[in-house]
Amino acid sequence: MATFLDAVLAFLFKYRPALFAQGRLAWRPPVAPEWIALALLLAAALVVFTYARAGRARPRDRMLLATLRLGILALVGFALLRPTLLLSTVVPQQNYLGILIDDSRSMRIADADGRARGEQAAAAFSDPSSALARALAESFQLRYFRFADRARRADPAEAHGFDGAATRVAPALEAVRAELGSLPLSGLLLVSDGADNAAAGLSETLLSLRAAGIPVFTVGVGAERFQRDIELSRVGVPRSALRGSALVVDLMIAQNGYAGREVPVQVEDGGRLIAAETVKLPRDGEPSAVRVHFTLEEPGARRLRFRIPPQDGELIAENNQQEAVILVRGAREKILYFEGEPRWELKYLRRAVAQDSSLQVVALQRTADNKFLRLDVDSAGELYGGFPQTREELFAYRALVLGSVEASFFTHDQLQMIADFVAERGGGLLLLGGRAAFAEGGYAGTPVAEVLPVTLGNSRDTTFFAELEVRPTRAGLAHAALRVADSAPDTERRWATLPPLTTVNRVGRVKPGATTLLNGSGEGVSQPVLAFHRYGRGLALALAVQDTWLWQMHADMPLEDQTHERLWRQLLRWLVSDVPERVVASTAADHAAPGEPVHITAVVADERYLRVNDGRVVAEVTTPLGESLEVPLDWSLTSDGEYRGSFTPAEPGLHEIRVHAAREDVEHASAPTYVQVSESSAEFYGAQRRTPLLKRIAEETGGRYYDASALGTLHEDLAHTGRGVTIQEERELWDMPIVLVLALVMLAGEWVYRRRRALA
Amino acid sequence: MRLLLVLLSALATLGLRGHAAVSVSPPARGPALAATAANGERPRGFTFARAEYSGTQGWRRGAWATDYPKADLQFITVARRLLPTLDIYGAEHTVRFDEPSLRRFPFVYAVEVAHMELSEAEVAGLRDYLLAGGFLFVDDFWGTAEWAAFERQIRRVLPDRPIEDLPQDHPVFRTYYDIARIHQVPSIDNICRRGRTWERDGYEPAVRGISDDAGRLMVLISWNSDLGDAWEWAEQPCYPLELSTFAFQLGLNAIVYAMSR
Repeated sequence: MATFLDAVLAFLFKYRPALFAQGRLAWRPPVAPEWIALALLLAAALVVFTYARAGRARPRDRMLLATLRLGILALVGFALLRPTLLLSTVVPQQNYLGILIDDSRSMRIADADGRARGEQAAAAFSDPSSALARALAESFQLRYFRFADRARRADPAEAHGFDGAATRVAPALEAVRAELGSLPLSGLLLVSDGADNAAAGLSETLLSLRAAGIPVFTVGVGAERFQRDIELSRVGVPRSALRGSALVVDLMIAQNGYAGREVPVQVEDGGRLIAAETVKLPRDGEPSAVRVHFTLEEPGARRLRFRIPPQDGELIAENNQQEAVILVRGAREKILYFEGEPRWELKYLRRAVAQDSSLQVVALQRTADNKFLRLDVDSAGELYGGFPQTREELFAYRALVLGSVEASFFTHDQLQMIADFVAERGGGLLLLGGRAAFAEGGYAGTPVAEVLPVTLGNSRDTTFFAELEVRPTRAGLAHAALRVADSAPDTERRWATLPPLTTVNRVGRVKPGATTLLNGSGEGVSQPVLAFHRYGRGLALALAVQDTWLWQMHADMPLEDQTHERLWRQLLRWLVSDVPERVVASTAADHAAPGEPVHITAVVADERYLRVNDGRVVAEVTTPLGESLEVPLDWSLTSDGEYRGSFTPAEPGLHEIRVHAAREDVEHASAPTYVQVSESSAEFYGAQRRTPLLKRIAEETGGRYYDASALGTLHEDLAHTGRGVTIQEERELWDMPIVLVLALVMLAGEWVYRRRRALA
Repeated sequence: MRLLLVLLSALATLGLRGHAAVSVSPPARGPALAATAANGERPRGFTFARAEYSGTQGWRRGAWATDYPKADLQFITVARRLLPTLDIYGAEHTVRFDEPSLRRFPFVYAVEVAHMELSEAEVAGLRDYLLAGGFLFVDDFWGTAEWAAFERQIRRVLPDRPIEDLPQDHPVFRTYYDIARIHQVPSIDNICRRGRTWERDGYEPAVRGISDDAGRLMVLISWNSDLGDAWEWAEQPCYPLELSTFAFQLGLNAIVYAMSR
């Protein structure tokens, strides 16, 4: 549409609007303008005099006819003044033009009128037989560059590789500007699909180009929308997980041309297929999240690949997969379960997780004042004095389950310590319902109440009791911890048939930011049964029923039913899943390309989980070939306990990074993280032509954007940028067709009007 | 000594009121919940449930109710004093092996088990109960003939699981009280009238058990001993305190064990 409008305007005004924008208007009258003005005035006076005389015509008719005549006179005057467009035109071969051709892998995509994008770009600009290339070469000194993640000078005859692993427009423009900045430069020509995958912003570069007066003309290649393609654009995988945990991973799928088709999503662990689910593809152009479920049984760093097999006629096969590295923890995670009284919950919870080799539930049960039963402790001294008195003792556990034990059992320091266990140590806390739990246990107003995801009332109602049907919310149905059957429909059916449980705790509202996973209703009561939120570094859960053991023992539960076991295993695994160690090592991404720096961050704390700023922290990097290098990490100065460093991997493969933290030369903790080094396939994701980005570059620098299939005016526009060595060119405008058209319109209008009004 | 004082004071307050002192509120939430909620109280966390099994015909018909309910009530009263954190229901309660609500009572006490004559429904109900995680504590049967009668019945329920003598270091002897020795606990008739502790040919007391695959007790067997009589008659001056103390200790240990493993 815009092109059609441009063509019409170019016809009427003799030149394209772009030339008017580049030039300026001047008048070149053949005689002194005063004479022309005098002649026009006389003629105008004659017109006014003629039409002012009374005749048959009404005053309104006369006014209109006089105006039309005066209009024609004005057009004649305009033409007599000889309007002229002054254009700065480059002096041939005196100016330079930088041509940047995208050399990244996305240019291999064959969506440019049946050709690869790169081929189209090369044919237009690098091929000596191209008319455009020849024309440009006649006007300018051409300087060719190729760019992907950086720009380099290139001979136009040199064959394109189109093998850059990333597209970074801003540094490329900066580099070319630095190289050509001292020359008379007419502008830069950027030929690309605009599929920039740089993290850094472009604004500063554009601003400096604008300030330097260097216009960037952009040429977009490729399709803005693929006809047939499926893209697995994102995968949300935790960096670590417990061995045997049921993982739920969200995948983002976008597609065109396959709406409604059912395709398999496969999960591979080191090349071995571990899960496959069939998903229905979303509507064209609408990204949609799908979930896959799988379990990782082998400890260590696992390289996962999620993929959708390429479909018939798909444009890009490379974007059908995503890779991720996940650390599967094999050690037993210690959970302290403190129960204030003998309760069936303790027995059946312990039984539910007894077979789980990743969980160690240390039970501490108060049987009388200062008398405790300890189960599954590691040593005779563990919990000998009852509930931990010190942070070191409590923080050795990764999660804490509090049963029916009144708040007054604890000292204020212990209550604060429990809150700190979640907020600072990052542990998981699960508060179970019971006669001495929640508000009924006197927790209102204590530091523990702050941590909970639900509000507590102040009353301690010792008579409250309700039998509740427990059902998952939408969030609950989607949550991995509540997936009590193998498939989502089976899970929903199972929840619908579980026997009711009882509660003795009135639970208030769920706090802002917390999520309800289970609701209970019955006997006129409706309240959350399971809610959670993140609190500080940790996770807090409230399970406000007192007898989940009925899901094991109720007569309606078949002996072989595993709902109770599965639920508790998953709940406790969730509780410990993201609990930080004393050293938490991470990298900015779990993938890097060879030669690309890997930035390591480590957060270091002592035994009490207080951040350490004066430690000696070293990352020991083990390459895939088994070589080892030490990377010292320095305190970041900005954040307590945070240390940073980086290294540049050279070889592809999985690199293990083990961060060792020492104080006074004694190592007190270490933690691993992993980074997979491989050639990036980022170029094939989001690889559609990004016209808005290319337009923005052109508009903000004073250049123009062109579609690769419509480059007809490019040469002319480049010739009139006004930059570099130029001469002034004058182009007459008096003979613009618009002048003649307007004159004819007015004459015809007068004639028609007279006929209609019978004035002829 | 402290245990003695607690025992005596507990029994003094209880006296011989019997079960008429406690009434059960009408069912509101199904029989199982209502049965453990007395006088408008909310249901308790633990109910001392007695097995009401089918028995042999003849004069011993109703053997399940031996010492019932006084033994149960005295045990409950003492348990409240000695195991103060336990939220125990204050009245006696019986349950049949063939009723679905059995599964709501993961601890069941049965006496005179030599007189059990279980129906097929009871066998199936008890088997499911034990395999699901229930705990059966049997008591008050004496001599080889009664052992054989009991074994015949329990073999119908759990045919393949061995019955083993529990060693002195078994957790059931240490889980709440440290029990150093297994006493023979006599009936009141034998100890107060005849001055002996044994009955029939049951001269040596034994505590045996049937465990699941993980080594957790499913059935605790007190043979050649009558804990129930000790609970029932502990307040009698003629009943030896040492023996009634042992009876309460083993009963409470069984409860804490059953509620934690």
